[in-house]
Amino acid sequence: MLASQQAGLVFVILLLGATLTLLAGTHADRITGEPVNNFLNSHTLIQTATDASFFAIMAVGATVVIIAGGIDLSVGSIYALAGVAAAMVLRAHGPADGPTAVAIGLAVSLGVGLLCGTLNGIMVVWLNVHPFIITLGTMWILRGVAFVASNAESILLPAALTSVAKASLGLNESLYPVPMLTMLAVTVVGAVYLRHTVMGRHVFAVGGNAEASRFSGLSLRRIKSSVFVISGLTAGIAAFIGASFYGSASCVDATGYELYVIASAVVGGASLTGGKGSAVNAMLGALLIVLIRQSIRTLHFDQNYEWIIIGCATIVAVVLDRASASFTARRLARLAAG
Amino acid sequence: MKTRMMTALVLAVIAGAAAGCGERTPPAETPPAAAVGLKIAVIAKSSTNPVFLSARTGAQAAAKELTGKHGVPIEIAWMTPPAEDGQVQAQRIAQAVNEGASAILISCSDAGKVTGAINDAVTRGVPVMTFDSDAPESQRFAFYGVDDVKTGETVMRELAAQMRNKGAVAILAGNQNAPNLRKRVEGVKQEAARHPGIKIVDTFYHIETPQDAAAEVVRAQNANPQIQGWAMIGGWPLFTPALLKDLDPAKTRIVAVDALPAELVYVEKGLAPVLLAQPTYMWGYVSVQRIFDKVHLKQDVPEIIPMELVRVTKDNLGTWARQLKEWGFTVPVTYLEMP
Repeated sequence: MLASQQAGLVFVILLLGATLTLLAGTHADRITGEPVNNFLNSHTLIQTATDASFFAIMAVGATVVIIAGGIDLSVGSIYALAGVAAAMVLRAHGPADGPTAVAIGLAVSLGVGLLCGTLNGIMVVWLNVHPFIITLGTMWILRGVAFVASNAESILLPAALTSVAKASLGLNESLYPVPMLTMLAVTVVGAVYLRHTVMGRHVFAVGGNAEASRFSGLSLRRIKSSVFVISGLTAGIAAFIGASFYGSASCVDATGYELYVIASAVVGGASLTGGKGSAVNAMLGALLIVLIRQSIRTLHFDQNYEWIIIGCATIVAVVLDRASASFTARRLARLAAG
Repeated sequence: MKTRMMTALVLAVIAGAAAGCGERTPPAETPPAAAVGLKIAVIAKSSTNPVFLSARTGAQAAAKELTGKHGVPIEIAWMTPPAEDGQVQAQRIAQAVNEGASAILISCSDAGKVTGAINDAVTRGVPVMTFDSDAPESQRFAFYGVDDVKTGETVMRELAAQMRNKGAVAILAGNQNAPNLRKRVEGVKQEAARHPGIKIVDTFYHIETPQDAAAEVVRAQNANPQIQGWAMIGGWPLFTPALLKDLDPAKTRIVAVDALPAELVYVEKGLAPVLLAQPTYMWGYVSVQRIFDKVHLKQDVPEIIPMELVRVTKDNLGTWARQLKEWGFTVPVTYLEMP
């Protein structure tokens, strides 16, 4: 089932990629004068993966929450607060050598992400309020904290962090694969966690049937709170990579990204009723959404249609997913009856 | 598997169909790739803001004129995000370079976010010019726009004159995160300090939509009834007629930056006796000319190209309205018939 889902997403990504390659046109290379395809070139491909990486990293964490039957609307705000906090600490710390600055930035971003995720988890479990409400509240609170703390300034990060996030790693000087590689690493870790660890299997069990899981002796509170910690952590990682790559952090960063993140997870096949989802598919969902955005711009269509297209794609994915679930349930029922 | 494949196909069809619903750039503005002499990517702050749409019209007009005059086809590639987002602007700069742009023209939503992308573009041989909102630490070759501190000072000077140099003033300041708006606020405060009878009540920030801005003005005015003057460093609330009912011209005066068609009624009714217009059409028109000078004619271009504000009052309302119409705006006929 997982393989078929991935095959479907890979198929549509390749289909869109092929369409773009055929229709994008060409331009002359600035140095050699040779024609270069406007889509199928190393810069555009890595740029597309880079654009997707910030959503995709957060989508892996959000997918874990969704599999457990929850939702996290605060990831964009955690991203903003983690970035702003790292930038402020580094500014307050003053000049530091490269590795020290990177270590401080990484520690603060991840620390803030973990802290915010823990806060979400504790409130969801101990206040026994639906995660939609809790994370809706923290979405505003955390962005407000970032706003007040930064005084709405866009704070520059030390060049050492940008050097790391924009390291070419032996490729052409103007190719920056670090965000893409981070996305792949987070996806692999997420996939291993979900599929090959006991804790990951518990997440599926709780999302699939919470009551049965409770009777099996699983600690629902621990599992339900831990998924928000993971989501906060991925938002912290995305914030570190994003702020370092773009060289600054501000309280308005990632505004509205929570919707792209959830859309990535859902397009990737995660079920909002819980019990179903995949880290790899969430990454592919993010890639697909960014590719749709890319296609609108590359083909010079009116980009005001971007929101309509992504909205339609999300609804279609969810409706077909529900139809698929309903079809499977009926088939199983028929098999059981037969 | 079948369902998932069907999802994939439907998504592809949606992408294709919805994209097909969109308007492709008219062929006249998009010559075939082989014939393109210059491709200028224009990245404004937001494609939903009318001031940037007029800048786009100006850029296209300049491109058409220069193409006619020099025989060099110029394509204007509009790559403005639908909503303000510095990160997305940085992504669009990279995309413009990847797709072979000859030059980039940008109004920066967040200078910190786009500086790296501008420098990358310049390193890869694509010159960048900024307009409206600058990225002064970047390697852009020129900036075209108003001096924001001076603009703030002019707003306050005009308002003080309207209020006979005494009274309580509020500043309407838009997005607290925008560096150019911060400088304008600074200018307003500097000028207010030169008028001992003027007292600044507070600075009010808000989401930059007409409704949010108008609601903020009403809230602030109700909470501070002593306010007699509004120094608006952007014209956001004047894009709705709401304040015509909520504020009394006999008690309150407004001086604001920008004078687009929807705002002219405030001049006519006397609530905003002075508007300071940024000729936003010229953002595109002048910038494309300077880019052509730099990239094609290899001429030197000054690093800072100042834009002058146009003072709009009842006396020149008709002239200004006709100018706006010439620049492609839809203007009510009543204003066009005024002297």
